Amino acid sequence: MNGIQILLIGGVVVIFLYYVFRLRNALIDLLALAAFAGLAIFFILFPDYTSTIAGKLGVGRGADLLFYLCILLFIFIIVKLFARIRRLEKILTDHVRQTAKSDAQFLDDNKAKD
Amino acid sequence: MQGSSQGFIFTLFMLNHINPKEVFVLIPAYNENAIIQSVIRDLLPCQYNIVVVDDGSDKSLFPLLNKMPVYFIRHRVNLGQGAALQTGIDFALSKKASYIVTFDADGQHQASDIDKLLQAITNDKPDIVSGSRFLEGASHNMSFKRKVLLQIARYVNFIFTGLLLTDAHNGLRAMTKEAANKIQIRENGMAHATEILHQIKKKRLRHIEVPVNIYYTEYSTKKGQTLASSFRIFFDLLLNKIFK
Repeated sequence: MNGIQILLIGGVVVIFLYYVFRLRNALIDLLALAAFAGLAIFFILFPDYTSTIAGKLGVGRGADLLFYLCILLFIFIIVKLFARIRRLEKILTDHVRQTAKSDAQFLDDNKAKD
Repeated sequence: MQGSSQGFIFTLFMLNHINPKEVFVLIPAYNENAIIQSVIRDLLPCQYNIVVVDDGSDKSLFPLLNKMPVYFIRHRVNLGQGAALQTGIDFALSKKASYIVTFDADGQHQASDIDKLLQAITNDKPDIVSGSRFLEGASHNMSFKRKVLLQIARYVNFIFTGLLLTDAHNGLRAMTKEAANKIQIRENGMAHATEILHQIKKKRLRHIEVPVNIYYTEYSTKKGQTLASSFRIFFDLLLNKIFK
């Protein structure tokens, strides 16, 4: 095992544990995540398999295949986050608007004269 | 505070068809602390209901407006001009407004132009009237760069809404309460101007433009739209077309 493998496996394990302990997901999420982490560790230990898969898909190297998949994943995440931000913005707007309307007041000049 | 001159001007305005007490002027304001008082002082003699929507200014506008007969609404956080307008529209409708006017807080609009918009509503019976700097009879003192930018914005609006106006981004509008009921601004940012046009088209509202005068001061130019913010508006429009 060389340095980069230790580094990557360490990273995958830390992220996995973080999810398990901090975010307390549903069981199905945990299982999916465990499978994903296992797969990642497998490919880190035996990187040649990625090249075999890449070859079957018409991509030269396993690293290139991973790169393309990462771009897809990245765009997917941005889209998801954007949709979520829009949703949150709407909730925030509705809430702020409601408080603003219930706090609305008429500022009379008579009141300020004394 | 304003004394008896107010009464005199009030009788003058009674000659108009529209009772100013049925008109609600919405002023969305974000950090307009320096100028908001003079903007409102210009509006007061017209006797309209004035609604200031403080869109989460860093320092609340409340102390500045405390002595003025206006409605004051404050967003706790800054949401954007579109959101402030919608809050104002909701509020005005709840106060049984018959006509709703939107008016910029940075001093570039003239109080006397509101009457022109209202006259147009009584004469031509449109649902919504917006001001235009470029129609005959209007005057403005804008820079060449801004003129070019607004020309481009016209066609961007046309692509997104199917309406080709003479003025793309004019904050001075007047609408009937029926139109205000139909318009729902969901664009919190500056893209609301295009969204309003989109809804005019979609809900088949009758819309006309009326020449108004715009005076850019050093202050309003600094606060106003720049080239960068036009790009921002464009991407807001594009993204929100995708994510309905």
